[in-house]
Amino acid sequence: MSAKPKIRELLDESACEHNKSKKVACNAPTPGATTGGCAFEGAQISLFPYADAAHLVHGPMTCLGSSWETRATATSWQGRDFTQMGFTTDVSLNDVVFSGEKKLTDSIDYIMEHYAPEAIFVYSTCVTALIGDDLDLICKQAAEKYDVPMIPVHAPGFVGSKNLGSRLGGEAALRHLIGSKEPETTTPFDINLIGEYNVTGDMWQYSHLLDELGIRILSTLSGDGRVADIRTAHRAKLNVIVCAKSLISLTRKMQEQYDIPSISLSFYGKRDTSNGLLAIAEALGDAELIERTKKLIAREEAKLEEKLAPYKKVFAGKKAVLNTGGNKSWSIASALQDLGIEVVATAVKKATEADRVKAREYLGEEGVLMMNPGAEQAKLIDEKGAHLLLAGGRSLYTAIKKRIAFADVNQEKKKSYGGYNGLLNLAEDLKNALENPVFKLVSRRAPWEK
Amino acid sequence: MGEVINKSGKPLQVNPFKLSQPMGATLAFLGIDKCMPLMHGGQGCTSFTKVFYTRHFCEPIAIQTSAVTDAIAVLDGGDYSIVESVKNITKKVTPSLIGLHTTGLPETKGDDIRGVAGKVEFPLVYVNSPDYEGGLESGWALTCKALIEQLVEPSEQIDVKKIVILPHVSLQPIEVEKIKQTCEAFGFTTYALPDLSTSLDGHLGDKQAALSSGGISVEEIKHLGDATLVLSVGDSMQKCAAALLGKNSSMRHQHFSHLSGLEASDSLIELLMQESGIELPQTNIVRWRKRLQDAMLDSHFSLGQTRFLVVGEPDQLAGICQSLYEAGGRVAAAISSVDSLQLEKIRAAKVLVGDLEDAEKLADDYDLMIGNFHCEALAHRLGKGLVTRGFPNWEQVGNALKNDVLYEGGAYFLFECANAAEEWRTHKAS
Repeated sequence: MSAKPKIRELLDESACEHNKSKKVACNAPTPGATTGGCAFEGAQISLFPYADAAHLVHGPMTCLGSSWETRATATSWQGRDFTQMGFTTDVSLNDVVFSGEKKLTDSIDYIMEHYAPEAIFVYSTCVTALIGDDLDLICKQAAEKYDVPMIPVHAPGFVGSKNLGSRLGGEAALRHLIGSKEPETTTPFDINLIGEYNVTGDMWQYSHLLDELGIRILSTLSGDGRVADIRTAHRAKLNVIVCAKSLISLTRKMQEQYDIPSISLSFYGKRDTSNGLLAIAEALGDAELIERTKKLIAREEAKLEEKLAPYKKVFAGKKAVLNTGGNKSWSIASALQDLGIEVVATAVKKATEADRVKAREYLGEEGVLMMNPGAEQAKLIDEKGAHLLLAGGRSLYTAIKKRIAFADVNQEKKKSYGGYNGLLNLAEDLKNALENPVFKLVSRRAPWEK
Repeated sequence: MGEVINKSGKPLQVNPFKLSQPMGATLAFLGIDKCMPLMHGGQGCTSFTKVFYTRHFCEPIAIQTSAVTDAIAVLDGGDYSIVESVKNITKKVTPSLIGLHTTGLPETKGDDIRGVAGKVEFPLVYVNSPDYEGGLESGWALTCKALIEQLVEPSEQIDVKKIVILPHVSLQPIEVEKIKQTCEAFGFTTYALPDLSTSLDGHLGDKQAALSSGGISVEEIKHLGDATLVLSVGDSMQKCAAALLGKNSSMRHQHFSHLSGLEASDSLIELLMQESGIELPQTNIVRWRKRLQDAMLDSHFSLGQTRFLVVGEPDQLAGICQSLYEAGGRVAAAISSVDSLQLEKIRAAKVLVGDLEDAEKLADDYDLMIGNFHCEALAHRLGKGLVTRGFPNWEQVGNALKNDVLYEGGAYFLFECANAAEEWRTHKAS
């Protein structure tokens, strides 16, 4: 049997809500009207955070050249941090004509000789998939030669979207790593964190709380992750999917193969963090643990409220318009409400049905769900008297025109907004935005304009 | 000049700073006003490129993809995906030009984009720019050549007051503007192809991210064939100059490997004086020359005791290394992303084609690195000084306004390097 995952199967995920409502999975991109990353990028996102493994991209220069060192996926790994390194075969015309297999084999040898990683993930790309280089065979041979896992990742860009690529990354981990090693010890409270990439240290905002509760993170896919740990993931009692729908196929298959239940949650904002912690405790089903968790939540929330008090004074009466996509359409809204900011509108154009329902829940009947935020947001700022626009960089001009404060929702790529403490980072950034005179000053009329 | 190694001996790139040919092509199209760059390949290439330049310039970047999928890759020769792309783009916006450029995927399967371009009834320029060949510099140059070949109208007239600049890819928007202004100071109407100086210079305006805004217009490109003088800057641009001269045998061409440092700046000014008959340049040019002279003397002590490693594109290396050399900076090694004839001319003890792993191996040979943002982690780990230059620079703002060329830019550049070197020395001592 081919080791390549079946794309059709992955697209037709039975655990996906849209498949229950008989909607066709959106896969085919429209030429000339497509945005968003490819499957290769998705696979990269889901697997690159393993800092003890080398990630070798078998393809031409665009694939890795423009994408390495782009994500601040923090790690506590003491060895050479491979998350911030780039390896690529940089295939040339010669390889395209005569095959790039030799180059790939030589590259694996080079990496083993010079860096001795715990594993190598080998990514196929459009060009090397098209010329038919046999990654499976090369990885198998190299794994035997070095007695180290060599994982072929079959997610060439042209098979689909970033989301599909993340699934394919999960698939590679399931086929080649999960279940290949036994953990030294197990506890009744062992969990896997799936889809938490520890970007800017998000995971560390709450991992110490899990620790305190006696919940052990057995493995992660893949934030601050280790290859040796994910190999033991089949012994966990619970899979926790953090803000990542794409890995739902992985957790469903782990349920089927290893009988591990899963829950999906987010650690964004106070309420979500508290709900998340409690959901994990409840899923693990231990009455004492649940009690402990409730106490910890009460303590942490009180601590946070005390630190938030001065911010809440600044935010009192402030209204915000939120223009982002996916689960952020409600998760950021919830965090803003935790800070005492009224969210008058949120964009749901790029959100799923379930996300829209949740957004409505958080915003209430008065809140506006924008289906066409580009056109609606300026009008809503006026109508609702908003003080703050949270959006991607493109919307900056809307804020300047309306002379209101602007905060880039992608700022979280530099600074963690996760967990209880992340909310303080968000509060500080929003306070700075509201106090910054630049948004009013910068669009001042020039002396020569009438 | 020192030892030159034209080929990396390794099977792979480790921590590459090399960038791909289609990305160079995209950037060139962004120097055309109201252009929509259309990258022919999988959607990821476009997405990566868009994010890459958005982060470097802190500006919205216009680009679209033909979004080739696995099934399309097998069944289509480009006819469907390209024609369909043009249809979908023009449904929403009306670009003055569509800039079709390829990636490795369609080139591997052999799409005939020239044939497809012939079927498209919309202004379109095509260029073959697979990412398994060349690099950023060649992608930019190939595109410039394609723009000339496919747009510039043949002419027999000469406008004695018109100059065309052909700048290499590593010249930042402000540098292109400074070169243009210098020519204008001698009374010439000056055009740059491509021209990032008015598109990606980072200016607040009513921008619609949907198309590039600013840059040379398609009409202006059509009429470049009557310039009296074509100035190519960077060896990668020589072929573009040849293509432009092919449009009008009466045009003359002058080539500069770079415009950095006192000597190169002098030769440009000398040329412009001859061409214009002006015997004394404007006061500010004269003044800036004096300032550069002073800067060279003020910085020579520090630079003279500093060993440099410079990494970048070939044409960029030529300029940076010459500037340092003139004030006594010792370039221990220059690492180029790709091979080029330019490498033979670079003022460095050692010139090689390589990656940042090579930079790491040479660690004992230098004190200060000059290179892109990927050098930061390395400089930090090895305890080296750093001056950031080249694509990408995601951690700093103001990249479009960093000026290293001619008298003025040269002075600022030397000061920045000398100050970085002193900071490094102080830091090392403490």
